Order: sequence, then structure tokens, then C-alpha cells
Amino acid sequence: MEASLPVSLGQRGFGADLRALWAVMRREWVIFTRYPSWVIALFIWPVIFPMLYILTARALAGPDGSGMAVFMEITGASDFIGYIVIGTTVWMWQNIVLWDVGFSLRNEQMRGTLESNWLSPTWRFSYLLGHTGPQVVSMFMFFSITALEFGLMFGVRLNGSVWMILLTALAAIPSIYGLGFAFASLVITVKEANAFVFLIRGMVMIFCGITFPISLLPGWMQSIAKWLPQTYLIHGMREAAFSNAGIRELAPDLIPLLLFGTFWLVVGYFTFLWMERRARRTGAIGQY
Amino acid sequence: MEMTSLSQPNLKAQLRALYVIALKDWKVFWRYPLNAVSNIFQPIIWITPVYFMGKAFSTNGQALGFAAYSGTSDYMSFILLGTVLTNFILTVFWGMGYALKNDMDAGVLESNWLTPVPRLLILVGRTLSSLLVTAITSAIMLAIGAALFGFQPTGNTWAAFLTAIPMLIGLYGFGFAFAAVVLLMREANTLVDVSSFLVQGFSGTNFPVKSLPTWLIPVALILPLTYGLDAVRGLLLRTDTLLPLPAEIAILIVFMFVMVWFGAWVFNRVERRVRTLGTLGQH
Repeated sequence: MEASLPVSLGQRGFGADLRALWAVMRREWVIFTRYPSWVIALFIWPVIFPMLYILTARALAGPDGSGMAVFMEITGASDFIGYIVIGTTVWMWQNIVLWDVGFSLRNEQMRGTLESNWLSPTWRFSYLLGHTGPQVVSMFMFFSITALEFGLMFGVRLNGSVWMILLTALAAIPSIYGLGFAFASLVITVKEANAFVFLIRGMVMIFCGITFPISLLPGWMQSIAKWLPQTYLIHGMREAAFSNAGIRELAPDLIPLLLFGTFWLVVGYFTFLWMERRARRTGAIGQY
Repeated sequence: MEMTSLSQPNLKAQLRALYVIALKDWKVFWRYPLNAVSNIFQPIIWITPVYFMGKAFSTNGQALGFAAYSGTSDYMSFILLGTVLTNFILTVFWGMGYALKNDMDAGVLESNWLTPVPRLLILVGRTLSSLLVTAITSAIMLAIGAALFGFQPTGNTWAAFLTAIPMLIGLYGFGFAFAAVVLLMREANTLVDVSSFLVQGFSGTNFPVKSLPTWLIPVALILPLTYGLDAVRGLLLRTDTLLPLPAEIAILIVFMFVMVWFGAWVFNRVERRVRTLGTLGQH
């Protein structure tokens, strides 16, 4: 009789872990769609954030557009709007992941549900991983809407291969989300971590060349930029989207992205394990 | 002996309530000192890409295109000043709408609402501590801006300060109306972010509104903040203004009265509505 018992969440197994993961993903999707303002976020953010820099660029170019020629020459870009949109969209991606995935456990802690969830006999990493699924889907929608809106409203054309753009985005997923996992685990320990989000996204903003080529940075700043995966992502995306680059041309960006991705995934997972053990030992899980 | 308490509302009691609300927020803010540090550096971080982007548009270190629009090639002082004023604008937006959302999430909105303190006063109280913090952090930010980007105001600081006051008071009206929307929609982040970003963009925080595409200029011109930012810059940096300065100041004073009345009216109606529906405590 015992052998015929259903494998439930109370008896851990691969199937039960997957079921737990699915349950978390479904819950997150329901919460995401429950607040209608996500529609605003999805349609308005892709335009208004880059717009601030695009309009500043217009002002810097002057009424006769003389500054634009200088910018085109320095950046080597053929389309200044597209150039800025790629940089700012990558910044938004990292920013959204830090807030969404990075604060997923913290939000549960604030709602008072983290402890009770932690007590259930489920795979605990599924709480973090489950949060990522709907996030990736919503980000895919975000990118598609960005391309559509800038294509329709500003005539930005992606001259490169869509497959190369997708490949570059896929190569960046491990580092972007790995950083999110590590961050989510730290937030449980340090609580109010807004300042850390500001620090990380600030580094991306300053060092990775979201609106300018990193060659304009002083030497020491360029050295820091080389240690940030978003630098390679922004460069690779611009190459893939506007220069018709193939895998060979993209390799100098794809390889570092994959290496950084492996590093951040490992760091993210082990930080989670460390936090999980520490939080249970110190009883910090329910504190906020 | 007569006791004056909050249950017998008078001016003194209301002021005490304001002080207590502000003190509570002040304590909460300084409980997380890293947030204070980030408040100082955050705006600097946001404008750094513009600094380098400006270099990509400059010839021999001079942003000549920018000067043709604004009357000054010192685009970093122009943007730094816009950023400081925007900090105050955001404080009013965040201070009220976001505070309401926080109270909803923490489950204390209903109990706060039961206290014999006017609701608009609670909203104003939630911004006081942030305004003080913003003043301190902005001053430090300008000092850092002066060291890093050469911020150098050459005009009349007091006249600029006095001009900013009606603009800020008018913003409270904006904030009241916005808090009402948060009460209705119960989700503040996106609303706060998007609306403040749009207002910030169209009122010319980072660029002279003359450089906007022609079809967007009317949007900028109907925002009273445009005249506020323009007048303060005109007084402090001696940039070219859109209208003569007395006209811009008159617009700001009218805006102050109209917005405070309108915002309070909208908030009171919506607040009554959510109490009738019983959705005040939902989030």
C-alpha cells in the first residue's frame, strides 16, 4: 500500500519540486496581472526612459543639428535614437530584475508569508526561481514592445539579424538573473537594500556606456567597465541590431557574457544556500 | 485643568500631529543610513551619462548646440539645477502617493484614518521630513557637483529661492490629486514613476524645452513647472527665459492657488468614495 501513496509535496522528489516551482510561477503571474498598472509600465516605460536621453541629445545637438555629426563620428552609430535605446533598455532590464527578482523574498518577508512558506517541505530555491519565470516572460514582452514602439514612432530599424539579437539576450540571461539571485539572498540579510540597487544600477549607468561610447571614459573607468557584463551586452546588442554582425563578430561579447553568467549563477545559488542556512540559524527569516 | 488633545482639534493639536508624523518619518529614514548616502549620489549617478554624452556632442569642449537653445554652454550647471528642483518635485509626488501605498501595505492606513487629524494634514505631514532630507542632500549634491562638474551659479540665489516657493506649494495640490488616484488604484510605484518622469521630462529638467519637437512644445508650455524651472534657471544661471520673468512668476502664483484648491477637492471626493465602497484598507 505504501508504494501506491501519491508523491506529494510532503515527500520531496523531482516531480514535487517541479510542482512547487509551477505553483510559485503561477502565483507570481496572478499577482503580476492583478494590478492593471503593469500595462502602463509595459507600454510607457520602454518609451519614456530612453526619451529623456534622446531629448537631451537633441538639445545638445543644437537647432541646426551640428552636434549630431560630432556624436555620429565619435560613436560610429548610424542611428542615434537606436544607439541610446539599446543602452537604456539594457539598463532598464538590469534595474527591473534587481527590483523584481532581487526583492522577491524581501517582499514575502514584508507580507509576513516568507516564514510560513519556508516551513513547507518544498525546494526553497523554487521561491526565487519561480519568480524568475514570469519575469522573463514580461521582459520578453517589454523588449518586443520597445522594438515595436521605436520602429513605429521613430522609424528605428533593426538592420541586423533577429536571431543574433536573441542570442545576445539569451547569453546575458545568466549574468543578469544570477546577479538578481545573489542580490535577493543578500536583501534577506541586510533588509533595506534600496541603496544597493541604486549602487549596482548606478554602476551600469556610469560605466557601461548606455548613452555614449566607453572610449570617452577616463582609463581607470574603462578598466572597471571591462568587469561588468552589461558593457558586453550593450556593445553586443548594438552590433547585432545595427551592424549585421554574425556569431564570429559577436564572439568577443558573447564569450565574456557566458563566463560572467556562469560566475553569477554559481555566486547566486551559493549565496542563497548561505543565506538560507544563516537566516534559520539566526532566526532572521521573519524579521523586517 | 483643561487638556488639549488630538481629540479636541485646534491649531496647536494639528501642529503637534504634523510634528509627530514628520518625526516618525525622520526616525525611519535615519534608521537606514545607507539610504541617505544613496539620496546624495543617486542624482549625480543619473546625470553622469549626460556629462559624457555631452562630451560626445561637444567641439573643443564647448556644447555649442546646447548654448544656441539655452543661452549657456554650461549644460552641467543647467542640468544640476534642474535635478535639484526635480528632487523636490519627486519628494511631493513620492511623499504623499507612496506613503499612502506604504500605509496600505503595512495595514495602518485605516487606523491612521481613524485619528482626529484632517487627512490632508496627514498627507502634508508625510512630506515634511522628506523635504528637509531633500534640502540637506541637495546642498551636498550641489557641492559635489561643483567639485566634479564645475557647477557655478552666477545669479541671485534669494530671488531664485523665493520663486521656487509658489511652485512647491502648487505641487502639493498635484500631490493631493495624485494621492487620490493611489487610493483608487492601490498601486503606486508605476503611477508615481511614470507620472513624475513625464512631468520631469516635459518641464525641461535636463534640457531647454525649446529643443523639444514642435508638437511636444505645447505639452511643456501647459505645465506650470516648466515656468518654475525656467524662472529659477534664469535667475540663478542667467539663461534665456521663455517669457519675461515677472510673467513666469505670476503664472506660478496662480498655479499655486488653483492646484491646491483643485487637488484638495479631488482628494476629498475620492476619499469619501473609497470609504463608501469600503476599499480603504484593501491593497
